[in-house]
Amino acid sequence: MPLKLLIQLGWRNLFRHKRRNLMLLLAIWVAVAGVIVMNSLIRGFQYDMQESAVANLTGHVKILAPGYLDDPNIEKSFELAEDWQPDLPGVTLEGWAPRIRIPAVIMSERETRGIQLVGIDPSRETISFLDSVKMLGESLEDAADRRVIIGKELARQLETDIGRRLVIITQGMDGRNREAGFRIAGTFDADGTGLEKLFVFTGVNALQNMVDAAVITEVSIKVSQQLEEALAQQQLTEAFSELEVLSWQQLEPQAAAMFVYADSAIFIWFLVMMGALIFGLMNTLITAVMERVKEFGMLRAVGMRPRSVVAQVVLESTLIMFVGVIGGVLIGWLLVLWLSDGGIDLSQYAEGVELAGMRSVLMPRLWLQDVVLVSVLSLVFGVLAALYPARRAVQINPLEALRR
Amino acid sequence: MNTTDNEVVVRCRSVSRTYQEESVPVKALQSVDFEVREGEFVSLAGPSGSGKSTLLNIIGGLDRPDEGVVEVSGVTLNELSESALSDLRLEKMGFVFQSYNLIPVLSARENVEFIMQLQGVGAAERAQRAAEVLAELGIDDMADRRPGELSGGQQQRVAVARAIVTRPALLLADEPSANLDSATTRELLEMLRRLNETHGVTIVAATHDPLVMGYARRQVNLRDGRIIEDTRNEAA
Repeated sequence: MPLKLLIQLGWRNLFRHKRRNLMLLLAIWVAVAGVIVMNSLIRGFQYDMQESAVANLTGHVKILAPGYLDDPNIEKSFELAEDWQPDLPGVTLEGWAPRIRIPAVIMSERETRGIQLVGIDPSRETISFLDSVKMLGESLEDAADRRVIIGKELARQLETDIGRRLVIITQGMDGRNREAGFRIAGTFDADGTGLEKLFVFTGVNALQNMVDAAVITEVSIKVSQQLEEALAQQQLTEAFSELEVLSWQQLEPQAAAMFVYADSAIFIWFLVMMGALIFGLMNTLITAVMERVKEFGMLRAVGMRPRSVVAQVVLESTLIMFVGVIGGVLIGWLLVLWLSDGGIDLSQYAEGVELAGMRSVLMPRLWLQDVVLVSVLSLVFGVLAALYPARRAVQINPLEALRR
Repeated sequence: MNTTDNEVVVRCRSVSRTYQEESVPVKALQSVDFEVREGEFVSLAGPSGSGKSTLLNIIGGLDRPDEGVVEVSGVTLNELSESALSDLRLEKMGFVFQSYNLIPVLSARENVEFIMQLQGVGAAERAQRAAEVLAELGIDDMADRRPGELSGGQQQRVAVARAIVTRPALLLADEPSANLDSATTRELLEMLRRLNETHGVTIVAATHDPLVMGYARRQVNLRDGRIIEDTRNEAA
């Protein structure tokens, strides 16, 4: 049977029971739009989680001294040539940053706190959260800057402020404690207080002087394309065979697990929504077939082959689903656009949001591949929903049908 | 029109068919021998349960005999698969049903073109043949109307147009006048006679309507699943 004829019949049958098909289309629109919106929110959550994990001084790939993760201290460090540059063919770098990151104690006139003291080259920290935080006061000028920047929350806890002095105690390369005074250049206001309480930054050269060693404890590397992570890790592993080269997933396993879970959640959500819908679609198709028993009988009688009857029912289902998917995607896209205007403010759940590695404003992210996947799977579901009604249609005995 | 020397279009040999009705066997046809030659206009008549519709359905490949052999245009139907029977119906037969059975979402013209589309006839030829047939049956001015916008008689004309537009070897009509008034029935029968006489369309009609029988050139009467009378209607 010519496809054109099947499509013509299928299309016109869409308008045969306008109200019933409109109700079905509404259900498909709601389901598809719901899946699209939920996907975009989960993708936004995923994106936030990954960006936070990468930006929290991790990078996509990080070079560390062996054992540093188990016992992070200055002894677990390594030397990096001054003129070293990552040489990673096939990988587009967004940036890289060498650092010393060691535990320390910080004291103000009134309070004492345990912190992570991080020696940085400020010009290279475009790849970390420092590039996007709100700064009060001044930033560090260069790698030799002996001042510190601390989090706003830590400043509050230490009851100190910009321009005041702090004392920091940490272990030197020889295993003995070093103590030095630092002036606060500025305070940073991160998204959530976790980072503000944890990190204190100073120039990497200044910190090397303090610990008496021209070493670093890590090099963070951020790539432009996520797909190049593995290639970058592989090449760096070959270049630094005596060091550990770890991906962000290895460094932030909880975030990585949540990332995978989010992928599954998208699929589960799709199955739940479309699974519920498929029964509605199947029911409508069975009703449509039963209403047209005589018509199918006539079609068979005049010479339509059984497989053409199957094709007609399947095509009608697919057409309904096609129109539903187009409308659903459009509605979903408009809803995502609307939600993207400012995002969803989750600041009242700040603690939970921070624990999950998210930002306080959730921005939905619509991926073309998700839209394509939802559309294709919906059409596949449309075909599957039609199989049973098609079987019923093909089982219609033309003789009995015509006698009705 | 003398058809006795024409080729045999339908041949039934010792055809029997038994139905189960609520576990009671009903012998609808009992060892029926029947032939229809090219160009004949045959009415199958008889009371309800006589077997006329069963015979028509078996000739049309819509039902299968329990015993006996059925041939249409030289093709033995008994051994054909469902798909092969569908193809045979599509290529060799035209059907006119009691309740028209037009496709409601298609216009009269599209209904007439429908079977040609199934046959794979090109668009230009389809349009030309449909226009010719619709004009011949006097419904060309209703070509764009859907069945719901046509009267019973007009719908039956469209059904006839659909059945003959493919120039079938055999036109099978099951109670074609059942839903029509006398005047419309006469119009339909005049039309069928014209098709039979001018185009040589072979027609077999199952009916209990004396009007239809009166127009057929050959009357076959059945009772209790057997042919009890097979006569030429010279007056027709």
